[in-house]
Amino acid sequence: MRYISVFPIVVILSILFGSAFTGLVIAPGVASDVVRSPSVGLVAYSPTEAKGRKIYAREGCVYCHSQQVRNVKADENLVAAFGVSKAGDYFYDLPHFLGTSRQGPDLSNEGRVWRRDIGQPARDYLIGHFINPRQYNPNSIMPAFDYLSTQELSDLTDYIQSLGAWKDNVKEPLKVATAGL
Amino acid sequence: MTSIQDRNNVVTATLPRPNVEPLPIDLPDSAAQIWLYSGIFWMSITMLIGVVEAIKLFYPEFLQGVPALAYGRLRPVHINIGLFGFMSMGYLGATFYMVPRLTQTPLFSERLGSLTAWFWNFNLLGGCMGIMMGFSKGKEYTEIPFPFDMTIGLLVIAIAGNLFSTITLRQERRVYVSLWYILLAIIPFPIYYTLGNASKFSGIEDAIINWFYSHNLFGIWLTTLGLATLYYMVPKQVNKPLYSHIVSFVGFWTLAAFYPWNGGHHVIWGPVPMWVMTASVTASIAMFIPTCATMINFGGTAWGTWEIMKRDIGYRFSLLAYVCYVGASLWGTVLAVMSLNAMLHFTNMTIAHVHLGFLGFGVPGLIAFTYFYLERSLKLKYSQNLAEWHFWLTMLGIIGYVVSMGISGWMEGTAWEAGGSPQSTMLDRYPYHVARAVSGLIVMAGQFLFVWNVYKTVNYPINLPATSPDALEQSSVTS
Ligand code: HEM
Ligand code: HEM
Repeated sequence: MRYISVFPIVVILSILFGSAFTGLVIAPGVASDVVRSPSVGLVAYSPTEAKGRKIYAREGCVYCHSQQVRNVKADENLVAAFGVSKAGDYFYDLPHFLGTSRQGPDLSNEGRVWRRDIGQPARDYLIGHFINPRQYNPNSIMPAFDYLSTQELSDLTDYIQSLGAWKDNVKEPLKVATAGL
Repeated sequence: MTSIQDRNNVVTATLPRPNVEPLPIDLPDSAAQIWLYSGIFWMSITMLIGVVEAIKLFYPEFLQGVPALAYGRLRPVHINIGLFGFMSMGYLGATFYMVPRLTQTPLFSERLGSLTAWFWNFNLLGGCMGIMMGFSKGKEYTEIPFPFDMTIGLLVIAIAGNLFSTITLRQERRVYVSLWYILLAIIPFPIYYTLGNASKFSGIEDAIINWFYSHNLFGIWLTTLGLATLYYMVPKQVNKPLYSHIVSFVGFWTLAAFYPWNGGHHVIWGPVPMWVMTASVTASIAMFIPTCATMINFGGTAWGTWEIMKRDIGYRFSLLAYVCYVGASLWGTVLAVMSLNAMLHFTNMTIAHVHLGFLGFGVPGLIAFTYFYLERSLKLKYSQNLAEWHFWLTMLGIIGYVVSMGISGWMEGTAWEAGGSPQSTMLDRYPYHVARAVSGLIVMAGQFLFVWNVYKTVNYPINLPATSPDALEQSSVTS
């Protein structure tokens, strides 16, 4: 075994890596139109929402908040309230914010909880919560983003209110239980 | 015929102009030293940041008000320093040490090796300052902003070229298993690294590529370099050949076949096509084979070495790394089982798995190599007392970290399945988050002793007597 020389090792390794590359990088893009087309009714981000999205990336919100609802028992309440996330829902997301951790709640439908049509109270809540989360939930471990400027807080709020909001305009509006969330 | 490994002295490079005094960076092993010591430096920094983060997760007012030290900015710095500073640099140090010995050939260019190490340090520093100042790219494991991210890719090409040239010019024709792992680490890296960092796909395609890249980063860059080091070191530490070359053959090729397919297991049940999940879950479960191979091989090699274990603290660290590697990999295989992932994904269970891998396997592996290097190559005597404390503190800290996060993760998973939410488990997580921070502090205290010990050993050298373990090594048959 230890007499194999380098060249065949390099060739076989390239083939093995190449097959995984084909399977996980090329195939999803080429073979699957689910991945490459937007969901019906999906709306692109407005300029302020896009700015808010950049702040979300910069401040690392993704490390504690996921943006996906899975069709599993642990997500039962989310599925009942908002439905399961689909590939096309993320069409305009660059970079993606699916997340891998839930130190805090899932945010993929936050715009249907603190809806735009609630008006100023929803914005006041979101902005106040960014500045000092413990004013609303004394046990919260979310960092206080009190160093963001008024403009930044407003853009971030626009982004948060856009999350999932478009879904309400597609089917008959779902009854969303805002209490307790 | 003498074995590949029992000649520990490296052939000296022929210098370009013989009558010119060689620069310090041209001396044999100078590259290995810079990489290794830098790795130890970054290890301390990443632990310090880890502890700060850990405290912020139960006491969020800690250091509040400084944007650069906000949790969401420190966490990517912790990850990137951990992966690109500590793990990459430390194990590249081991690689730059191993390659000339395994090939019986001087490193292609010591100077290039040393310069890439310094460049890497400053580049990483720049990248992390960039993240702290708010320039993060915002996607896990690709946060380092342009141009620092692309510089890492270019540096790896220079490093890979240096190592690959040495391997091509080798005097020793046989290719020991450590070299197989090193080849796997250096060949595909530029491809998936560039893909992960520079691609501009959006949405789910972005996510799939992100995880393809990230998992290759852990699997066929960091883990392979770590395993290469263990395969080199352990037979020499126990002074007997590897248990079975057939088993290492099976272990290596199954690992190379399955690891690159694992990426999709980070989005199990997520909004990705079902077949991406199925392929990755299958490959993750198939990872059981290489894990078992490693378990059998090192287990067989270590069997009956209790005497050496008592005497040689470096070897004890090797065993700790080995146990944690097997543990983390089996745990990973379990986490990839779809029904369990449904419950445990998004919880602290992932954090426990990650730290069993990096804190349990990465840290002790590099420590073992450092003690090995001091003793066998520099022939210096380090303080046994400090090393003994170092070992027990590190072990205690790792257990504390992994157990506290494991329990917390299990609790979160069961609570969510019973209708709970992250907010409803906030208070229940509190004691475990405290326990994790305390464990982190314990590990850090241990590493403080370690750094002190290494510093003293190198700067105030006490040479080992002739009856030292390296005398044993001369008679070894470990190829
Ligand atoms: C003193 C030791 C350490 C402490 C206290 C510590 C603490 C932490 C904390 C608090 C997190 C965030 C967890 C969360 O999001 O809930 C984290 C994540 C992470 N740490 Fe550490 N850490 C330590 C050592 C290390 C080392 C040595 C590495 C080596 C590479 C490392 C690699 C990582 C990685 C990769 C993540 C991200 C995990 C993920 O995204 O799932 N850590 N650590
Ligand atoms: C056979 C080996 C392994 C398998 C099958 C495996 C499997 C997994 C799975 C399924 C996850 C995702 C967990 C989740 O999010 O629900 C994961 C995460 C992770 N694993 Fe492993 N693992 C293995 C070995 C390792 C080793 C040895 C290391 C480190 C040296 C490691 C580092 C990581 C990291 C850093 C993550 C977290 C990524 C993130 O969420 O940010 N894994 N692994």
